[in-house]
Amino acid sequence: MSRREGSLEDPQADSSISPLPHLEAKIHQTHSLARLLTKYAEQLLQEYVQHQGDPFGLPGFSPPRLPVAGLSAPAPGHAGLPAAERLQLDAGALSLLPPLLDVVRRHQAELNPRALRLLRRLEDAARQARALGAAVEAVLAALGAETRGPRPEPAVAAAAAAATDAGVFPAKVLGLRVCGLYREWVSRTEGDLGQLVPGGPA
Amino acid sequence: MPAGRPGPAAQSARRPPPPLPLLLLCVLGAPRAGSGAHTAVISPQDPTLLIGSSLQATCSVHGDPPGTTAEGLYWTLNGRRLAPELSRVLNASTLALALANLNGSRQQSGDNLVCHARDGSILAGSCLYVGLPPEKPFNISCWSKNMKDLTCRWTPGAHGETFLHTNYSLKYKLRWYGQDNTCEEYHTVGPHSCHIPKDLALFTPYEIWVEATNRLGSARSDVLTLDILDVVTTDPPPDVHVSRVGGLEDQLSVRWVSPPALKDFLFQAKYQIRYRVEDSVDWKVVDDVSNQTSCRLAGLKPGTVYFVQVRCNPFGIYGSKKAGIWSEWSHPTAASTPRSERPGPGGGACEPRGGEPSSGPVRRELKQFLGWLKKHAYCSNLSFRLYDQWRAWMQKTHKTRNQHRTRGSCPRADGARREVLPDKL
Repeated sequence: MSRREGSLEDPQADSSISPLPHLEAKIHQTHSLARLLTKYAEQLLQEYVQHQGDPFGLPGFSPPRLPVAGLSAPAPGHAGLPAAERLQLDAGALSLLPPLLDVVRRHQAELNPRALRLLRRLEDAARQARALGAAVEAVLAALGAETRGPRPEPAVAAAAAAATDAGVFPAKVLGLRVCGLYREWVSRTEGDLGQLVPGGPA
Repeated sequence: MPAGRPGPAAQSARRPPPPLPLLLLCVLGAPRAGSGAHTAVISPQDPTLLIGSSLQATCSVHGDPPGTTAEGLYWTLNGRRLAPELSRVLNASTLALALANLNGSRQQSGDNLVCHARDGSILAGSCLYVGLPPEKPFNISCWSKNMKDLTCRWTPGAHGETFLHTNYSLKYKLRWYGQDNTCEEYHTVGPHSCHIPKDLALFTPYEIWVEATNRLGSARSDVLTLDILDVVTTDPPPDVHVSRVGGLEDQLSVRWVSPPALKDFLFQAKYQIRYRVEDSVDWKVVDDVSNQTSCRLAGLKPGTVYFVQVRCNPFGIYGSKKAGIWSEWSHPTAASTPRSERPGPGGGACEPRGGEPSSGPVRRELKQFLGWLKKHAYCSNLSFRLYDQWRAWMQKTHKTRNQHRTRGSCPRADGARREVLPDKL
């Protein structure tokens, strides 16, 4: 089949056009996105602690780092896993983060209603986590790896309606934990994609 | 459980915290059986208190094994460890705290009171809200831009410092009928302002007031009653141009266009002009520039850059007798007066003093009269026309005299010629 036949938009239709450049471009693009979101996640965390007051943000402040809705920080052995499995874990974590970020934004809208930049950053973070998660899933699909597919969001909204009287301080701690997990997972995603970028670290 | 003792006027307005999912129990506060971990509960949770009041709080530890001691526990407030003498062990598992004369909260999300284990780990936390109830907002002022909207501004009572998040709500209603409405677009012209963009009635009074609410109470301003037509303002006059008046060195001509937005509303605008020298901060104001779109500034310094601004007051809308509200000043427009071409002093026996033409008694009196006319009738076109003609004639005559002097002619003859006054004067 000559190069004139087939569609440039569908590399699979023409076996003489390798899908590899398309995949590489996609990995490169997603890696760039993850790098940008890592910076934003760091800014979000700094903005968050400023508005909660001390001891949030003080060196040595360490509330319990327990799982949130089944979402933990990347495990120490994460880096040693195969690439596809790492990206699957990244995509899974990124899909759990948006509803948690939404909960934190609603709490902060009550606690810090004048902190417009913080509220905007939380809203953006939820949207960006979804976008990065979808991009990672696209890379996984292009690699031929199994993707998780659309996951039902955790029943956070339903649980929120249960109206537990946990208090303002636990809400602040939850927000800190969620913002921290968001930063850790986008940073982890950036690292995992960086290993797939041609010329990147093996 | 001991609770804070707020002042007499305070309500223990404990707003219910926003509902949180059960997952929070995994974050802080839930005991885990068999884990050997300790958690605690602080009481009261998230109290609201008046500035200067006292607080009695407890930290009760739950843990495995049961009967975990309260010895070694300590408190921090906003990250600072509290003095041990403020705490005492109530029983084996409860540590009490007594704080007096509380200051206003450091942040609006609440002061962080935390109970720590001996090793510094966090067992529980509670947020304190210490502040003042709002005072009555006052000094409400409103204006309507081109009769299409209404913007209001107010001053919060007690300079706004309540140390608690205080919500301000601008309310309005038609005076004799209708329901209360709430303004929705806040902070449009400063932190205490609101903008009502549409659906406003004319020729009928509105009642407007501001309600302030926080955790400790609420307050309401006095009611302001107004008709939209009485608080109209416009955009500044557009297209302000400043230009020289021929060679006249002490005058500038100012022209502008009346604001187009109100052209259909039958109003008589009045204008104000202000001007200043380039390197000065003192503005001079020309008042009562009524319903015309040009004016001439006189008595200016030659060879000087002036900045000029114009503003408009749309009074007399639909026959109203009340003045409107002055618009903002237009953007500054600059122009310079021509520099004097007369030779400096000491040029010769007949050199006019200060560069002025030599003057006999008639001329002196004429000059005084015109000076008076200039001072008392800035925008009298008739006077200016005559004055301009006279000035132009004077300068022309003076130039001619200087040319003759250069060629060695007799200045006295020119001076005699200059005694002849312009025809039209």
